[in-house]
Amino acid sequence: MEVSHSIRERTIAENSLVILLQGLQGEVTTVDLRDESTARGRVVNVDAFMNVLYRDRRGRLSQLADLFITARNVRYVHIPDHVDIMETIQTQLTRIRRVRNFAGDKGGRKEYQKKKK
Amino acid sequence: MVLLRSVPAPSEGVRHEQAETTAVLDGKGLGAGTLYVAETRLSWFDGSGMGFSLEYPTISLHAISRDLSTYPQEHLYVMVNAKLNDENEAEMQENAHDQEDEDNSSEEDDSEGITEIRFVPRDKAALESMFSAMCECQALHPDPDDEDSDGDFDGDEYDVEEAEHGQGDIPSFCTYEEGVSGLTAEGQATLQRLEGMLAQSVANTFHMAGVRTDDANGEFDDGMEVDAGSTMAGQFEDADADH
Repeated sequence: MEVSHSIRERTIAENSLVILLQGLQGEVTTVDLRDESTARGRVVNVDAFMNVLYRDRRGRLSQLADLFITARNVRYVHIPDHVDIMETIQTQLTRIRRVRNFAGDKGGRKEYQKKKK
Repeated sequence: MVLLRSVPAPSEGVRHEQAETTAVLDGKGLGAGTLYVAETRLSWFDGSGMGFSLEYPTISLHAISRDLSTYPQEHLYVMVNAKLNDENEAEMQENAHDQEDEDNSSEEDDSEGITEIRFVPRDKAALESMFSAMCECQALHPDPDDEDSDGDFDGDEYDVEEAEHGQGDIPSFCTYEEGVSGLTAEGQATLQRLEGMLAQSVANTFHMAGVRTDDANGEFDDGMEVDAGSTMAGQFEDADADH
């Protein structure tokens, strides 16, 4: 479950519920699409699904190995019952902040800075 | 404009090119051609130069289909949020936002404003690369209508908490004065104490394999701090350091 390398994406995640979806990586969820189809599978990454059992709007069941759904076409994500929502959000926030503090100019190892003579 | 019949395949930014790929458009086979997964658009052209291009924002989803009971060959499935007429010029039917055409759900595909395209490569092993290339290119085209992903997050990131409380730990850089003024009286006292300790500890600085450690009792949240308090005095006497 990696945190995005982009500051912009991390900030978006920090300030919206996308962060909850990102914490669902590895979980099997059902997604309702805008066109009223449903897809069920294991979340690889928010926005890429993997190993999906895809039931399209005509009710046909078809198995897809990998499925990528653009965000715009997602209507609902069914969060699995066993997922603790607040805990997932907190965990993701911690991950994001840890990445930022390590990479930013305030934290991290102070190598090569102000060599004392 | 969704399908651009006369626009050629881009020559730059082509993330993946797959020859010997048949295109099937809404069930109609178009023969063998080459698929170009480029950063600007997705294109397919046959040997005679006929083909089509798709803009990524119109692609609702794409997938690898290995289920032979649904379709007899493994292929890359693409669903486009637009309808093709005979001239291959798509008409964008806005099913979303304003008009929720709920009553259309029982009608056939033709009136739902979507197009299903299957790209069937001769080399089935290429499907993963084709899929990944499309994922990458899709990521380059975020939905401009999505209010959550607008420019508010560039530069000074907008933070609800910061707006409400005047404080926040979002990385918006502030001057020293701004930072200090955000502290309570107790916080400022703590800051002064810590800075005093820092200044004092300058003389006690050790060099430890190039990483500077000092006695500062900093509550750095970075997880990389070295606990200088746990070292014994003189432990690093052999280190090349001037005190």
